[in-house]
Amino acid sequence: MNLSVPNIVILIVIGLLGVGAYALLTVRNLIKVVVALQIMVKAAMLALVLAGRLQGQENLGQSLALTVIVADTIVAVVGLALAVEVRRVVGSLDLKALTTLRR
Amino acid sequence: MGMTWLSLTIGLPWLGALVVWLVGDRDEKITHTLAVAFSLAAGVAAVLLLPFGKERLVYSIPIGGVFGDFTFVVDGLGVFLAAIATVVGSLAVIFSVDYMHGEQQLTRYYAFVLFFIGGMAGLVLTSNLLLMFFFWEITALCSYALISFHNDDPKAVAGGIKALIITQLGGIGLLAGALLLYTYTGSNDFQAFLENPALLPAGALAWMGFGCLIAAAAKSAQFPFQTWLPDAMEAPTPISALIHAATMVNAGVYLLARFYPAFAEVPGWREAVMICGMLSALLAAIMAMVATDLKRVLAYSTISQLGFMVYAVGAGGVFASQFHLLSHSVFKALLFLAAGAVIHSVGTRDMRQMGGLGKDMPLTRAVFVVGGLALAGIPIFNGFWSKELILEAGLHDNPLWLYGLMLLVAGLTAFYTLRMMSMVFYGEARAGRHVHDAGNAMKAALLPLAVGSLTTWLLAGPFGHLLAESLPAHHLKAHGTLAIVEEVITAPATYLALGVVAVGLLAGWQRQRLSALGQALSGVSKAAAESFGFEAINRGVVNAAQKLAEWLRVTQPGLLNWNVFAILCALLILLASLAVGGR
Amino acid sequence: MLHLLTAVGILVCAIQAIRSRRLIVSALWLAGTSALVALELYLLGAPEIGVIELSVGAGLVTVLFVFAINLTGEEAADLKGLIKEPLAVVVSVLSIVLLGILLVPGVDRAAPSFGEASLKAVLWGNRQLDVILQAALVFCGVLGVLGLLGERESAAAEPGHSEDSE
Repeated sequence: MNLSVPNIVILIVIGLLGVGAYALLTVRNLIKVVVALQIMVKAAMLALVLAGRLQGQENLGQSLALTVIVADTIVAVVGLALAVEVRRVVGSLDLKALTTLRR
Repeated sequence: MGMTWLSLTIGLPWLGALVVWLVGDRDEKITHTLAVAFSLAAGVAAVLLLPFGKERLVYSIPIGGVFGDFTFVVDGLGVFLAAIATVVGSLAVIFSVDYMHGEQQLTRYYAFVLFFIGGMAGLVLTSNLLLMFFFWEITALCSYALISFHNDDPKAVAGGIKALIITQLGGIGLLAGALLLYTYTGSNDFQAFLENPALLPAGALAWMGFGCLIAAAAKSAQFPFQTWLPDAMEAPTPISALIHAATMVNAGVYLLARFYPAFAEVPGWREAVMICGMLSALLAAIMAMVATDLKRVLAYSTISQLGFMVYAVGAGGVFASQFHLLSHSVFKALLFLAAGAVIHSVGTRDMRQMGGLGKDMPLTRAVFVVGGLALAGIPIFNGFWSKELILEAGLHDNPLWLYGLMLLVAGLTAFYTLRMMSMVFYGEARAGRHVHDAGNAMKAALLPLAVGSLTTWLLAGPFGHLLAESLPAHHLKAHGTLAIVEEVITAPATYLALGVVAVGLLAGWQRQRLSALGQALSGVSKAAAESFGFEAINRGVVNAAQKLAEWLRVTQPGLLNWNVFAILCALLILLASLAVGGR
Repeated sequence: MLHLLTAVGILVCAIQAIRSRRLIVSALWLAGTSALVALELYLLGAPEIGVIELSVGAGLVTVLFVFAINLTGEEAADLKGLIKEPLAVVVSVLSIVLLGILLVPGVDRAAPSFGEASLKAVLWGNRQLDVILQAALVFCGVLGVLGLLGERESAAAEPGHSEDSE
């Protein structure tokens, strides 16, 4: 495998996805969850731009990436607002304190 | 114009449900008025839609993807059931104004009733099998929510859960049918399939046919799923009249009638349908003969009459079954609503606590007797004509032993109807009882239904033409009302059936003297009271479903980490299969 | 070479953002990731997107994070995960490896050329529905920001409340 540009980018994408997934599996702090989501979304953004380049439809890929940026920002905003609210109501940012389901 | 009425028929009740829900429990009067207004408007829209049935109006909304087009077809079969759902629905809502007077959480009640009416109209008007499945489940959900309306009563909750689980079993059958249809034809629309069943290979067709039979049996409370309907009687009585007598339980019969042209040639399908109908009719009639709870007697008789309809579809009498469906919706809704007036006034459902109520409730007695005579199949009343047509359909190239048993059931029906009427309205009155006759809103709902029980048979001709013209795949022959009347009057089978009914009435009248016979048959009556053991089977199914749910709860810890873990595992399986299969 | 360096930088920043025990440090590492991703986007020939990512991802979002962390306080950032560490490692490594096996071979090839419309035309002409959806999203975002701001006011109104449970 030679380290051409697409190869490097796809490695970044896969690496970011892996880091994000690992974080979502282990993290218990709500704000950290938002961080993990941000990391995974960056991967999606890069993948879209790369896919546009590979398919010869760069502008379509880029405009979709723009959509992803917007969505990603909103996710951060709403997620953080929820985290703050949860902190206020539940008194903790711990995911475990959030569930009320019986086990 | 037709499209307006079509969208109003489905849309108005749903809009009404939303409005009632949003307005909330502020003022009881406003809630009542809104519900009545919306249901009446929907009823009017459905009646105005009736003339478009002949033209086979088709209205398609492209959705794309697996869903295909959401197509609504206004044909005879659908439009008349939609009219029943909305008209009987509006009468049940009017009746509720008196019956539910002063109840808590009326909003929830009316919202679900209206949601149900719209769902039922959609169910019968769509020709997209997947969409039909959605509507099917909406009606099941509303049925569950309304059976368990008094959610502080454990019996009501248990009855609701039972109805939900058993009808879901049937829903699986319908979903399987929809998936098969999509797999082989690439579309969810069943119109083309009905005209050319050969689109599906014989094996798949048989699977689909029997899947639909299971769906229909579960929905229409037919053998072997019949035991949920009596338990559903915990619902408020207008709900029993609307959902568990006049509309939702007919959905199964509708499904069978709709797909009859496709499955008629499947070997064994028609016989299975007939036997399913016969067993339900017979077993439920015997159970009705020993039950003492007024609403349960009516529930058993509903199962029994639905058995007649299912039998008729199996025997090839699609028109007869749908005609009986019309008659039954009217007279059974009448019987349930009248029973509701009685229960509302007496405060119990036990018929042994009643008796002699006729003097205090003359109007209720009058309409109840009209409904009862229609149920028993006495001439002139609408039940007579449709039941005779079914029995005649049973004579055409069909096993004679099935016909004989159905004839016996007709006699049993007369017996238990008379027993019920005399136990409630005649005989010794109990002392120290304050009984009042039905209120004004109740009367407003009862009288049209009583008139209907006397007259709907006059519609036989136009109804037959409507079905024959709009259902090309069914190859129905249309006759005028007069021709049908003549056919029924001149057929010798009619007099045989009338004789059996007369014997049943006589036995009902003299049932005290038959006590010796009753003693001899006490084993049967004991078994009947136990639902012939099917209660145990159904309870087993319900318990198994609940155990499974309890066990599966482990998978829902409500913790993000574990949820992500499950998602990742699914992704891994997907990727692994791609990596292996892609080579 | 620049690509490779950026790639290593992005991954290191991302890992640090996850590993860091303090939330505020975590947010700063995330900003670093974002900035490097913006650089990578620029190198990939998408300068507009890169600039937007830099300003929004590295700028605005980081400000929001700092804001939220100020409101909630540093807490519970280093609790042990609910899933055992080795299990999490195995599952995430497995998914990375499988994704790599599936994706990497298909990536390195010559790009077909289609002769496309400009970014502006594609963005505003062909994807109107997306634009409407984005408007809806932005509306949600505004509500979220209002929530955060409102929180600040109520936190100011009840001093001590958020400190109580720390």
